[in-house]
Amino acid sequence: MFKFLSIILRNKKATAGLLIVVAYICLALAAPFVTSHDPAKRVARPHQAPSVEHVMGSTRMGRDVYTQFVWGTRTSLMVGFSAGLIVTVIGTLIGVTAGYFGGVIDESLNFITNIALVIPQLPLLLVLAAFIGKSDPFMIAIIIGLTSWAWGARVTRAQTLTLRRREFVEASEQIGEPSWRIICVELMPNLLSIIGFNFIGSVVYTIITQATLEFLGLGDPLAVSWGNMLYNAQTSSAITVGAWWEMLAPCFAIVTIGIGLSLLNFGVDEISNPRLRTLGAINKAVKAQKKFDQTYKSAKGAAS
Amino acid sequence: MSFIIRRIMFYLVAFLVAATINFLLPRLMPGNPIDIMFANAGNTMPPEAKKALAETFGFVERPLIEEYFIYLKSVFSWDFGVSIKKYPLTVMDVLMQALPWTLFLAGTSVILAFCIGSLLGIYAAWKRGGGFDSIISPSALAVQSVPALVIGILTLYLFGLVLEVLPTSYAYDPSLDPGFSWAYISSVFYHSLMPIGTLAFVSIGGYLITMRNNMIGQLGEEHVVMGHAKGLTDKRVRYNYAARNALLPSMTAFALSLGSVMGGSLIIEIVFNYPGLGNILFQGIIARDYPLIQGQLIIMTLAMLTANLLIDFIYIFLDPRLRKA
Repeated sequence: MFKFLSIILRNKKATAGLLIVVAYICLALAAPFVTSHDPAKRVARPHQAPSVEHVMGSTRMGRDVYTQFVWGTRTSLMVGFSAGLIVTVIGTLIGVTAGYFGGVIDESLNFITNIALVIPQLPLLLVLAAFIGKSDPFMIAIIIGLTSWAWGARVTRAQTLTLRRREFVEASEQIGEPSWRIICVELMPNLLSIIGFNFIGSVVYTIITQATLEFLGLGDPLAVSWGNMLYNAQTSSAITVGAWWEMLAPCFAIVTIGIGLSLLNFGVDEISNPRLRTLGAINKAVKAQKKFDQTYKSAKGAAS
Repeated sequence: MSFIIRRIMFYLVAFLVAATINFLLPRLMPGNPIDIMFANAGNTMPPEAKKALAETFGFVERPLIEEYFIYLKSVFSWDFGVSIKKYPLTVMDVLMQALPWTLFLAGTSVILAFCIGSLLGIYAAWKRGGGFDSIISPSALAVQSVPALVIGILTLYLFGLVLEVLPTSYAYDPSLDPGFSWAYISSVFYHSLMPIGTLAFVSIGGYLITMRNNMIGQLGEEHVVMGHAKGLTDKRVRYNYAARNALLPSMTAFALSLGSVMGGSLIIEIVFNYPGLGNILFQGIIARDYPLIQGQLIIMTLAMLTANLLIDFIYIFLDPRLRKA
């Protein structure tokens, strides 16, 4: 665990991302201790600008924006992580099965995956959410999870296909290891970085999509979440009447958690695939060499 | 040619899947689906209309499989029923009024974003680790994770309300008559600047990163080294040797991103009060206009499949191997 952490901390992007994500997780866990109001209750006059008492101002309904922001973090993270889990489990199962077994199984699973990829996501989610009715955050997590696995399945399948032909997998087959053992012991550890990439990417996607669905008025209006904050701000035309703080808080929240998770994701990707790095270290070395050459030359010039 | 035929068959199946979802969903709900669909219609619809709608959706006393074929028949004859919110109009009419605006927004911005993003990606990969690369690539990563919704709201606030330089709603000045006049076209252009700009901005990052990563892969290949060895100009190696090959996987990413661009377009239209599908849909959702929401899935799937078919043709152009297959 510590070894894993120290690998992440060596990469700047991953460290920055990790810090943001950990900060949000702490905020979500500590929600009851860092807020003093009820997020769903009227505690101030409508549309109050940020002040000492209400650090992020108040909404049209007189609710405290800061309190809603903190409790919304809980909802968003919970929905994000649970949908991410569903997406990753389904995607990995389908991807590995298709890639490992091949043949008819691969063809049919790949066909299903391609169809799921080509049907537009948001319109499909709109239809599902509309028929389910006022979907609470948990329901939204489930429908996003069940409709968004295709990308992960595709990537996992591709990676499994290349691993499948490696010698260590063929060797395990030759000595008669059962399929479940080859999949769990030989393939899984080598798929970990892709599975992790898929998981974090799905969490970002879910947080954004959940906010979007709620912004469109398809969520449960009683839930406290960033999407509902946006929906309420939009329907009370907060921006047009100059109450920018009501919009800014959820926007800020969605952007920072999105950037944090993505930085973590791409940092981890760079760690596992060194070709993608921006070559900071090598450039530094090249510059140092040039500087050394120059001082060496001038020193030589001074000597002669 | 068999490649294209295979693709068209595949798109047909995908379209059937979308239609089947639309068919099954109301039936999976508890209670009588048509009654639920009309729960919010109030007294705006006469009983005959309700009956006609029930028939469109295949809600007749028949075995399920027959209901399904009746529904499919109505879908393939472009009959999606009547809209509950805008009653005398059919869903098809309502959607067709709005669709061109959405296609205009999504199409222009996606092509713009793909061209700019790919070009920047080519440069970033060519001078990998240089000043340009180390600024643009991390910022592309950051921009990529910001949703269209947020960028839309922020630009609306900044350019529309604080600086007041760009219009905050409508597709053109409502006092003008649509037509081929300079005033009308310039008004459309002016009103589309902000929505197209935000939509393009949101997706540039993704294309940049994909192109950069593909380019880096290509630059290590032997044909690129040979291009250098033959003494070709940098420009020729960059575009004709590396970029052309890097473009193929980029096109796949492009095709996959179309769905999210369309989704982004729906959101942007609501934020900027643009008269496209998103706006119509927003009103439909608030009024629980189920036929409209369902029709939208069919139309969007169709748009997506058509775009994918176009990309398949581009694929054939880019990859000569497919022409023989």
